[in-house]
Amino acid sequence: MDSDNKLKYRNPLHWGELDPHRKAGTHIGMWAWIWQRISAIAIIFLIGLHMTLTYKPIIQLLLLITLVFHAALGLRVILLDFNLVNVRYRNALIAGLVGLGIAMIVIIWIRIY
Amino acid sequence: MSQSHMSTRLVRVFRYDPMIGGEGHFDEYTLEIEDDTNTTILDVLIRIQKEQDPSLAFRYACRVNMCGSCAMVINGQERLACKTNVSDICGEQNTTFHRKRVTAGNDTNDKSTGREITIRPLNHFPVVRDLVVDMEPFFDKFEKSIPYFEPAEHMEEPAVIAPDARERLDIGLATECILCGCCVSSCTMVHYHDGYVGPAALNRAFTLLADSRDGLHDLRMNQVLDSCYNCRTEFNCTEVCPKEISPTRSIKYIQLLAAKKSLSGKGKRAPDITPEPVEPTAVEPVSAVANNLPNPDRRRFLKNLTFGLGTISAAVVGGVAATAAIGPALEKGKNRWIRLSKLDSIAVGEVTTVTMEYEETFGFHHSRQSKPVLVSRPAEDNNIVVYSSTCTHLGCTVSWDENKRQYVCACHGGAFDEHGNVVSGPPPRPLDRFVYKIEDEHLFVELV
Repeated sequence: MDSDNKLKYRNPLHWGELDPHRKAGTHIGMWAWIWQRISAIAIIFLIGLHMTLTYKPIIQLLLLITLVFHAALGLRVILLDFNLVNVRYRNALIAGLVGLGIAMIVIIWIRIY
Repeated sequence: MSQSHMSTRLVRVFRYDPMIGGEGHFDEYTLEIEDDTNTTILDVLIRIQKEQDPSLAFRYACRVNMCGSCAMVINGQERLACKTNVSDICGEQNTTFHRKRVTAGNDTNDKSTGREITIRPLNHFPVVRDLVVDMEPFFDKFEKSIPYFEPAEHMEEPAVIAPDARERLDIGLATECILCGCCVSSCTMVHYHDGYVGPAALNRAFTLLADSRDGLHDLRMNQVLDSCYNCRTEFNCTEVCPKEISPTRSIKYIQLLAAKKSLSGKGKRAPDITPEPVEPTAVEPVSAVANNLPNPDRRRFLKNLTFGLGTISAAVVGGVAATAAIGPALEKGKNRWIRLSKLDSIAVGEVTTVTMEYEETFGFHHSRQSKPVLVSRPAEDNNIVVYSSTCTHLGCTVSWDENKRQYVCACHGGAFDEHGNVVSGPPPRPLDRFVYKIEDEHLFVELV
């Protein structure tokens, strides 16, 4: 294109703009990223609740689940960041670590109550 | 791969005519496809152009996945049109979304009808026409990575790289990038950080930074390191790369290199070279990109908002944690006097069990405590002894046995005489005593 071109380019399309298939095709890694952020904010609120309404099992359980979920996804990113796990297992890590987390929640919960 | 069969496909193609302008729209074409396992999306586009609409614009060159010209968003994912078979799309139609669409369609008898193919230009690039995007911003950013090799030492002979050398294995197939732009289109962060050079450029930088023969290491690192921190590890680029490269891994590798360098203390920052300002060219796309960014006021506002919210969250969490951690320690210094009972109600010559009730605060946690204490009043005067009912052995509650005239603990048979001294059993020391005072005919004990 030479600089005299007066043709009007369309502004760049954004991710998901005019794209009926985008939502269904959102990759699992992106969900992991979004949910880790959401769980981070949830933890702030749950910690506040936990400190004010101490020993309420429902808050303890919610906080435990949110923390474990957040930690599992965080560990995944750390493992991949430091090249400790091959990048091709990026999606298997989500299932693996979250599964491990759920197992830990069950064990911890049974031991407490 | 599904079995080959004749099928009718609805193809929706994004159309944008620069002479008309506007937002663009989708045109629909119906196409008979003889064998979807060896018909590529590029074949489909060429057929539409030849048979139905000669005005359709798209870009292609090699047709064998080598040049990267035909990258486009096909059914929600960045792919090379020449590498994607129609049957590949078919395999992905079995999602809820597609099933809904299919049932909503009229021709539910023929399984293949209604499974449409939606083709759209790449994201984050100005659209020139239909599926053709302007790659200029992509290559501008690519240049930021200084994408060529400059040896640190001049060599007469070609370098010999062992196939199993550590660096060679680390770099792997990352050098196979064909600059198709799929990764940049799939990356959501490209839109939010205008200085972000994008996955392709960083992958290129990685292939050179990981090479110990690189003569421009520090300069290159300086140019690209800031961009690396815009990566949010979503792995979108890794998912879509037609060459199966993982730019995310490359980005993390650069960060790791930088971290290793600064930790080992060898990190020497290259002389700060002011990045060349992006020259505003007369061509529209650059301004199009610029127009599309949030305006500086909004960005500053968002920045301040994020900072503010971060500070508030940190203060709240820090405050809560600090109060909980330090609070009890500080409160321990304050001894409190707890009123037990009226002096009259304590029988002379006996040991009376009185329940001591008080409020306890631990961090944010308040609780009402009630503990029995043993008050011994041998004569009608103010000479009283207040014993703690906690056994000095393992903390069980001791009680007064009038017959034995001993304080006894039911747990392990500990016994204390009238003066609280150990008579028998495992307790290591006499019963603890409270400091007391008598005020207005009331008995008070000091809670430590």
